[in-house]
Amino acid sequence: MRRLAVCAVTLSTLLPLAACSRRTASLKPQAQRVVVYVSEDQVFSQPVLEAFQKETGIEVRAVYDTEEAKSTGVMNRLMAEKDNPQADVYWANEPIRAEVLRQRGVAEAYDSPAAEGIPATFRDPEGYWTGFSARLRVLIVNDAVEKPPRSVLDLADRTWRGKVVLANPLFGTTTSHMAALFVRLGDAEARGFLDRLKANGVRLTTSNGESADQVAAGQAGVSLVDSDDAINRVRRGDPIRMIVPDQEPGGLGCFVVPNAVVLIHGGPHPDAARRLADYLLSPDTERRLAEADCAQIPLHAGVPVPKDVPSLGSIRVMKVSYAAVARKMVEIQQELKAWAGY
Amino acid sequence: MSPVRRAVLGSAVLLLVVAGLLPVAGMILRSLTAGGHLGFEAYRGLLGSARQWSLAGNSLLLAALTTVAALLLGVPAGVLVGRTDLPGRRLLAALLAMPLLLPPYLNAVAWMAAGSASGPVARVLGEGAARTLSHWLFGLPGCVLVLSTAFMPLIMLLVAAALRGVPPRLEEAGLLAAPWRTVLLRISLPLAAPAILLGAALVFLLALGDVTVPPSFRYPVFAVESLSQFSAFYDLSAATAAAMPLAAITAAVLGLEALVSRWTGAGTAGRGREPGPPPTVPLGRFRLPAAVTAWSVAGLLVGAPLLILVLRAGGPASYAAALGQAGGSLVRGLLLAAVGGTLLAAEGFLLAVLGVERPRGAGAAADATALFLFAVPGAVMGVGLIVLWNHPWANLIYATPLILLLGYLARSTAVTLRICRATLELVPPGLVEAGRVAGIGWGRRLVWILAPAAWRGLAAAWLAGAVFCLRDVGMTLLVHPPGWDTLPVRIMTLAANGAPELIAALCVLLVAATVIPVGLLAGLVGRMEAGS
Repeated sequence: MRRLAVCAVTLSTLLPLAACSRRTASLKPQAQRVVVYVSEDQVFSQPVLEAFQKETGIEVRAVYDTEEAKSTGVMNRLMAEKDNPQADVYWANEPIRAEVLRQRGVAEAYDSPAAEGIPATFRDPEGYWTGFSARLRVLIVNDAVEKPPRSVLDLADRTWRGKVVLANPLFGTTTSHMAALFVRLGDAEARGFLDRLKANGVRLTTSNGESADQVAAGQAGVSLVDSDDAINRVRRGDPIRMIVPDQEPGGLGCFVVPNAVVLIHGGPHPDAARRLADYLLSPDTERRLAEADCAQIPLHAGVPVPKDVPSLGSIRVMKVSYAAVARKMVEIQQELKAWAGY
Repeated sequence: MSPVRRAVLGSAVLLLVVAGLLPVAGMILRSLTAGGHLGFEAYRGLLGSARQWSLAGNSLLLAALTTVAALLLGVPAGVLVGRTDLPGRRLLAALLAMPLLLPPYLNAVAWMAAGSASGPVARVLGEGAARTLSHWLFGLPGCVLVLSTAFMPLIMLLVAAALRGVPPRLEEAGLLAAPWRTVLLRISLPLAAPAILLGAALVFLLALGDVTVPPSFRYPVFAVESLSQFSAFYDLSAATAAAMPLAAITAAVLGLEALVSRWTGAGTAGRGREPGPPPTVPLGRFRLPAAVTAWSVAGLLVGAPLLILVLRAGGPASYAAALGQAGGSLVRGLLLAAVGGTLLAAEGFLLAVLGVERPRGAGAAADATALFLFAVPGAVMGVGLIVLWNHPWANLIYATPLILLLGYLARSTAVTLRICRATLELVPPGLVEAGRVAGIGWGRRLVWILAPAAWRGLAAAWLAGAVFCLRDVGMTLLVHPPGWDTLPVRIMTLAANGAPELIAALCVLLVAATVIPVGLLAGLVGRMEAGS
């Protein structure tokens, strides 16, 4: 019996080792493989990557972010691996951090033919990142609220005292949005807005999803979230409505947050990386992401969208340079930390 | 010392140092050289922030309450399953031990599902009750509930083992003058105090370092802050500095535990074992009430969450979708667990041999190191491994699953070391001595005498090692190479906007992947034991 046990343990070790070594051996750089780090939620990004693998025969190896890493975990891995890159492509869920990668020399320029038709606002002029499939930063309002706010800046009014929740501005798209306000309004005015917001008793949550849930449950009257958070709650019948803010003539405009594709400088599979970038930037991927539960807005004109997903052409977009927003985001980090009580 | 012995045991110690101590040391060095020169710059912001102190307070409160709850549950459970005639005590022990085999956040997922608007509480007791449960769970109470359930088995198993090691003659002498209850309270449990203390220290540290449950229940703690520093602020030095208080607390708690253990008279190991099983404590008229209470608690803490997950997952379609989304991760996790379990069993066995041969010198140092690394938070170890191995010359390690195996060695050697050590102490010294007198060399004695004599311990160590590899989240999350995510990691990444039934099905699959092999192997070992 002991020999049997020894055999069982030996086999259970050697067989997996053999399997591991086969996989490990196949980790060597080859043309038919691409390594992608992904900040977009896995439930939405994985089907797209699987479709790419099926259509092209190029094996996709992905590392996904978790909610706990606040969608920036893989980006930090990219920066930590700068001198020894393991990834070929970064699928960012917003362009600001893609811009930070460009500024830190992690990105490589690529002018994808699939990017034709995507407005220049959503592309780095030198091709270090290209946007696709966007979310909007919108107001989510509980149905019990009779006169909803129409501007992001309204949240600092006394009318909304104690009724506003906001995702922690140190993480995710809320950081980018705050930085965009600093760029668009100027430091003094944006700082004043944040101070008034704080004085108004704004409550911080861990994520946009939690903010949307609190509004849906009536624990808060209004919040500033991503459009997919709002559309999801509308689709599941929660008592909320989505308001695209600052749409009046001459207003701030709505802050748009596209996904962004970044090629990694020195990545081990550059050709496959370009093919994946082309695929992600295609109208077909945008259609797929519009139809998914993430309800993202295509940047190519003419891509069909479900009825509850607004089209880009119908929205007054906040005019802001993402490069400037990225620089401002780094600049105001300590200020935001102090504001959030860190 | 023979050259073979020196080489083999030296390699085992070196492996532990390279796998675990070097990454932690590298992190400390990096945090002290932030800004290009030696100093405490990275620590200044940390110590000067009121929020950090508040987070530290939250962490210590959570760890303390979890430890108290785990002690309140674990000590009685250990007594009941370890020494009494409680009906079905082996099955109860297995049921109560199950949460230790699984990532703690699985229980969090289940309790959150219980309190959701469409969960079982809402359906049976109404939405108001579900809201109340949900309101109560989110925050400190939910964290304490889940973490104490997850780590309580450590105390239960240590207490049960320690009580079985109490010399029967002492208890028999006590029984001449007092009933069992008094003997247990005045003789047996005080002798098991070092085991209880060790269990409490480990539970405290594991709760302190957990980064999966507090975010689920939105309770801000220090360990998550260290992960956030790495994730959100692009600052490895600050992340390291944020992790250092946890490492310092870990060292301090374990040092204190060692001191107190020495002061109270060392562990039960080597206290003079006597042949035959220890006498069973009869529960008498308390047998039925004790059984009802124990099984009810096990049902509530372990059975109910599992049932909730199964109900939440729904029909076969959810499991098919789960396998489609994460079947590869499940297979990879099992492969890594099998290899990791073997490495851990071998490393634990060799260090246990060192511990038996040199109980106060190198053996004690290796044991303390392994225990320290076991309690270092996974995220801290993950960042340390990245800092140490992320270089082109180390691609063979960093870009392959070897980085995970190194991490597993660092994190879980303490478990296999302790199991092997406990088994080796039961091997009659005369057996090895006879081999030495017969002229058999150290290496051959190790392979042909000691290892076969301790095969049960080795099998248990392999199993425990594999399970601890399979359940790891904190470290694996940070360092897994592309395409090498495991099922617990996949559950975490799918949790963002994933369908609740899919997440529940994935959790059930993980439970099955862990519990079924453990059950089968435990059965096999039981049969072999009976056969031999």
